[in-house]
Amino acid sequence: MAKYILRRFLHGLISVFIVVGIVMILIYSMLNRDLIFAGDSTYTNLGNNQKTVYKYRKWQEYGYIDFKSYAEYLQMLVNEEELSDEERDAVVNIGKKPESDSEEVAAYIAQFTEYFEKQGFKVERLNAVMATPRKYASGGQQQLFAYKDRPLWKRLTSYITGIITIDNIHAVQEDIGERKLTFTLHDPVYGGKKFSPAIIGNGTVHKYLLYFNSTFPFLHQNLISINLGKSYSVNAGIDVFTTMTTPQGSYVPREITYPTGLKEVSADDLHTAVYVLDSREANLVNEDRFVDDYTSVQTVKGGFSKMGYSFVIGIIAVLLSYGIGIPLGIAMARHKDKIIDKIGTIYIVFIIAVPSLAYIFLFKAIGGRLGLPTTFDMESTSKLMYVLPIISLALPSIGDLMKWLRRYMIDQMNSDYVKFARSGGLSEREIFTGHILKNAAIPLIHGIPASVLGALVGAIITERVYVIPGAGNLLTIAINRYDNGVIVGVTMFYAMLSVVSIILGDVLMAFVDPRISFSSKSR
Amino acid sequence: MENKDMKDLFSAYSEEELFSHVDHSDLESEKITAPRYSYWRSVFRVFFRNKVNIVILTILAILIAFTYIYPEVSEYDRFANLMNDAAKHLSPMAAIKKFGFSIHWILGTGAAGQPTFDAVWYGSRISLSLALICAAINLTVGILVGAVWGFSKKIDMVMTEVYNIIGNVPYILLISVLVLLFAPSFWTMVFALTVTGWLAIAYFIRTQVIIIRDREYNLASRCLGTPITRIATKNILPFMTSVIVTLAAVEIPSYISYEVFLAYIGMGLSEMSLGRLIYEAESAMVTPGWGFEFWSPVVVASIITIALYVTGQNLGDASDPRTHM
Repeated sequence: MAKYILRRFLHGLISVFIVVGIVMILIYSMLNRDLIFAGDSTYTNLGNNQKTVYKYRKWQEYGYIDFKSYAEYLQMLVNEEELSDEERDAVVNIGKKPESDSEEVAAYIAQFTEYFEKQGFKVERLNAVMATPRKYASGGQQQLFAYKDRPLWKRLTSYITGIITIDNIHAVQEDIGERKLTFTLHDPVYGGKKFSPAIIGNGTVHKYLLYFNSTFPFLHQNLISINLGKSYSVNAGIDVFTTMTTPQGSYVPREITYPTGLKEVSADDLHTAVYVLDSREANLVNEDRFVDDYTSVQTVKGGFSKMGYSFVIGIIAVLLSYGIGIPLGIAMARHKDKIIDKIGTIYIVFIIAVPSLAYIFLFKAIGGRLGLPTTFDMESTSKLMYVLPIISLALPSIGDLMKWLRRYMIDQMNSDYVKFARSGGLSEREIFTGHILKNAAIPLIHGIPASVLGALVGAIITERVYVIPGAGNLLTIAINRYDNGVIVGVTMFYAMLSVVSIILGDVLMAFVDPRISFSSKSR
Repeated sequence: MENKDMKDLFSAYSEEELFSHVDHSDLESEKITAPRYSYWRSVFRVFFRNKVNIVILTILAILIAFTYIYPEVSEYDRFANLMNDAAKHLSPMAAIKKFGFSIHWILGTGAAGQPTFDAVWYGSRISLSLALICAAINLTVGILVGAVWGFSKKIDMVMTEVYNIIGNVPYILLISVLVLLFAPSFWTMVFALTVTGWLAIAYFIRTQVIIIRDREYNLASRCLGTPITRIATKNILPFMTSVIVTLAAVEIPSYISYEVFLAYIGMGLSEMSLGRLIYEAESAMVTPGWGFEFWSPVVVASIITIALYVTGQNLGDASDPRTHM
């Protein structure tokens, strides 16, 4: 069984990577790559050659191309000690036009060109753009650089290998003192007296690698981080997974003690401290607060994360729909062709046939009439605002469950074992709940993991209609803003969840139904 | 029903013919007689036996007439009243008062002063055409591929992998990339909805084919040397008819819903389809007195989808030979 699941999982992993590859082809190769600058104000404000170089640099940052400027090439030579700093300074400034280069510079440019063209790069030189004969036009300085399109396989492998990073004591490049991991039973964040185990690192990116706090799930870690792709416009520079899992809402200030002993009312979460080079020298506030350069902290916020909101609403809707849908489905099958079956059928037809947008608006309008809040407000403590989104999500899945349960139960009703049970004198109730339901529910059980994990993904229309700050809208927003990193990351996340939920569904089904087995014999 | 048939049977004969003496004939007694059975006639007999179907079919006919004939015979210019601020967002009563009674104004006017009634039918023509064309393409390709997929075990292995992979590429992403590559026109949308849309249908058909493929009667057929094409067309296709009709009943409304959904998230057609109308009138929903311009396209879309769905479902039931008794 374990072997089978592992094989299925690896198989699923490969198809997830192929999916990511297809998505990468779609957005990196097929779409116009200038589109990503649509909402970038820096890009709009730059002019002439500077704009071009900015464009190439961003393309490099977001994985389209490999890019090297002439200055970077010279710096590389300096690092390899083929060139001294003085020599570099003498040749780093190129002429406004190729003709105005000095002999020395021209020699290095030729070397640069040869070096990169050999590797398949394309070398481009932009001549200076002059406003007047002596003055450069805005951003008009001359530029020299080389670039090469990054092939799909390279982009894909660097993406896949970068998904999981494990923090280690050699992560910080600079001199940081003794690199080590310390295990303590008394977390210094709580004053060093309260019992609270933690692992603290020096030389790692995060200071706290493992710690306890009072929020669910109590034990937290920074050792393994998941990177699904850096956002360009949706949440600039932040990873998709972080965007989905970071709490939102207003700050929760409380009195905290900084490592220096300074007490202050602040929303900072010291457990999230990350190393920033020379941050204490650069900022006096940090000097007052911290004893080392682990100074970049996140803040404690009152709301859930995007995924949190989606999951809370989704999971309650799932529980509700199973809680209501299953009894109703049984009732419909038991009283086939009676009034309850007919009403249920009308409801099912309504839910399936009417566009989901239409009935969500209908629920919103009805709920608004009844005085329920129709928009979501993170600052509000009222639980009532969850009601309409949950109903909107639950009602269609109730219809779906009713439809399938009724179908499966009616199919079972003429089986021999039912006739036998009836002839044995069991009551109808016993037959339905004890025998038919057990058999009819097996295909439905297969879908439970999918609906639970699906709650993490969120619902596009519901979240949009009720203005919920959830994860469901992330993909559509990313598409609208041409944010490639987010698109790839979200796709990866969806595909992974769907693979896992199918496997879990199979396992669960084998668990409840002893006839289903995944051992190689029966296959 | 049967009584009536009997009466018909008897009325063809005169009294003498009915009660005259008939000699025993060995040849005649060997003949096996059964009432003549025509599949499609039985389908429609069962279908029209249910009075609800007649009502729904009438509604559907009216809707289709309005969708396809009304825009042909009436003049509609969306921007005719654009400069006339007094003509915008009118309730039906106000519009009739302003323009005089005519069918154009019975649902009031929209944001550009256009008659909502006309806008809805022009929109539903686009939406319904899109749904019908997409369903036709997807069902044809899906059924053909699904049949082959179900029959061949080698193809099954390959196609299942393809299905697992393509099924995980977000549909919205695929559509939006295609819409960005080409323009958001009608045919781009058809292409976007059909380029992978057939896969799910093919998978469904494949499962059905696999269920019937190994039934005893097909096994017997194969043992007797019936060619595979004959098994497919004579043994399996009749069994699949009701499944296919039921499938079409779900598919056609689903494209209308999908178009509405895509328009709502801002990735829909550039033409004023029903989805686009709903999307543009969304703000009117909460404004008192403007409700008609939002709810009209919603209601029309809902009625069209319900009518299509119920007709298809009942036709699917009727095309199952087991209901022909």
